[in-house]
Amino acid sequence: MFSKFKFRWSRLMAVACFISILCYAVISVSQSPRPSVQLTTEPPIAQTVPLEAEATEYLGSGNYNAPVQVKLQARDATGAPLQNARFHVQVLTPPPTPWFTTDFPIVEGTKLLDIEANAPTGEFQMQQVFPIRGNYQLQVQVTPLVANGFAPIEQTLNLTVPESPLKLKYFPVVLVVLLAIGFGGGWIIGGQQEIQSGEIAPRQVRLLLSGVSILAIAVLLFFNVSAEFAAHAGMESAALPVNNSGLIESQGLKLELTGDENAIVGQTASFQAKLTNSQTNQPVSDAIFKLKSTQLENNWIAFAYQGVSDAKGSLAWQEQFFDGAPHKIEVEVLPNPKGNQQFQPFQVTREIEVEGIAPPMSVRFISLFYFTGVLALGMMAGLGLQRRRLQQI
Amino acid sequence: MRTSMQISWRRTEQFVLSMPAQAILYMVLWSLIIWLVYFSTYPAIHDSAHSLRHHTLGVSCH
Repeated sequence: MFSKFKFRWSRLMAVACFISILCYAVISVSQSPRPSVQLTTEPPIAQTVPLEAEATEYLGSGNYNAPVQVKLQARDATGAPLQNARFHVQVLTPPPTPWFTTDFPIVEGTKLLDIEANAPTGEFQMQQVFPIRGNYQLQVQVTPLVANGFAPIEQTLNLTVPESPLKLKYFPVVLVVLLAIGFGGGWIIGGQQEIQSGEIAPRQVRLLLSGVSILAIAVLLFFNVSAEFAAHAGMESAALPVNNSGLIESQGLKLELTGDENAIVGQTASFQAKLTNSQTNQPVSDAIFKLKSTQLENNWIAFAYQGVSDAKGSLAWQEQFFDGAPHKIEVEVLPNPKGNQQFQPFQVTREIEVEGIAPPMSVRFISLFYFTGVLALGMMAGLGLQRRRLQQI
Repeated sequence: MRTSMQISWRRTEQFVLSMPAQAILYMVLWSLIIWLVYFSTYPAIHDSAHSLRHHTLGVSCH
């Protein structure tokens, strides 16, 4: 009896030990360092701000912030940089927030960038403007340029861009103004309503409603007159004709920039830069490409990248122009200091028309509802206080 | 007939000139102004109020 119990007990112990060892092995494997992509930004992401789309001097900071420098470094299990890698980077914008919209609701929940490029040192660097607040996803795939060079890496990284501090600074002012307007209206409307003979409403109320009507007319007039002046100034500064062919030949080399001629906010546009030998038409694979997208209305840089061309002498990417304004794409080609072919840098430029999309009506109505709600709160406070005052009299 | 019309007119007048109607009218007028400044897509208005829109929390521009 005792020996049977002892035998069972030892079997139980053996099973427990086996499970413990198995658990330890699984945990050890899952916690052991694996190849990964390290993300750093300059400035640190907590210090970045979304695009200040109209950095005017009277309301804004007066200058446009430089894009955020994003650096991705592929590392092996020991933390050493991986050489000869190919990066596929996709930047996805934060999910839609219709109940608390951003500047660009059409951009929410879309793809901002899609680029594939070689990184001989295992480092991928780009500069990108983040148009709205929220959590951006960077989907990164790293594959070896040489077969079986290392195990491919697939990683999703997150970047949380805070709200613009200027918006946060102005918001209490907006709230106070709306509350004051509501309160003033409530105070006057809630006052003693003594209609004199021949009057349709008390004098104060008539003055108030007429005043607001005049204000509405003045606002309309202001916008229309200022628009006329802006249109007149725009006609005077007619755009100079630019070479928009996307093709340039220099020093026996041909640089070609092909892709979409028009873009639309919310969708990516595709581009490809290719460097070939003009005589042989063979690709030049060891050149350095410098890409830059500039918004032309205010001359701020939306995206920039510097990297080497692939074996076909090309570099392809998709980018979204989130501001509905014309953009310029510049591709400059430079010789690789260690490369076979040396030449003077030259560049090709193309202008892209971008179609802006109006925010959805529902999003605008939600915001209007909030603003009117604040106004209503002020009005209720005004009416209530006035009523209490009259009761005391 | 004439008396009933007069009564209904007087009731309408009383409602229109009542405090709730005046308050609603005031709110609607201000809503119109807010819509014009912050949410209208009419290019002349959009361009004039562009900076203001981009510096106000909860306002979408384009």
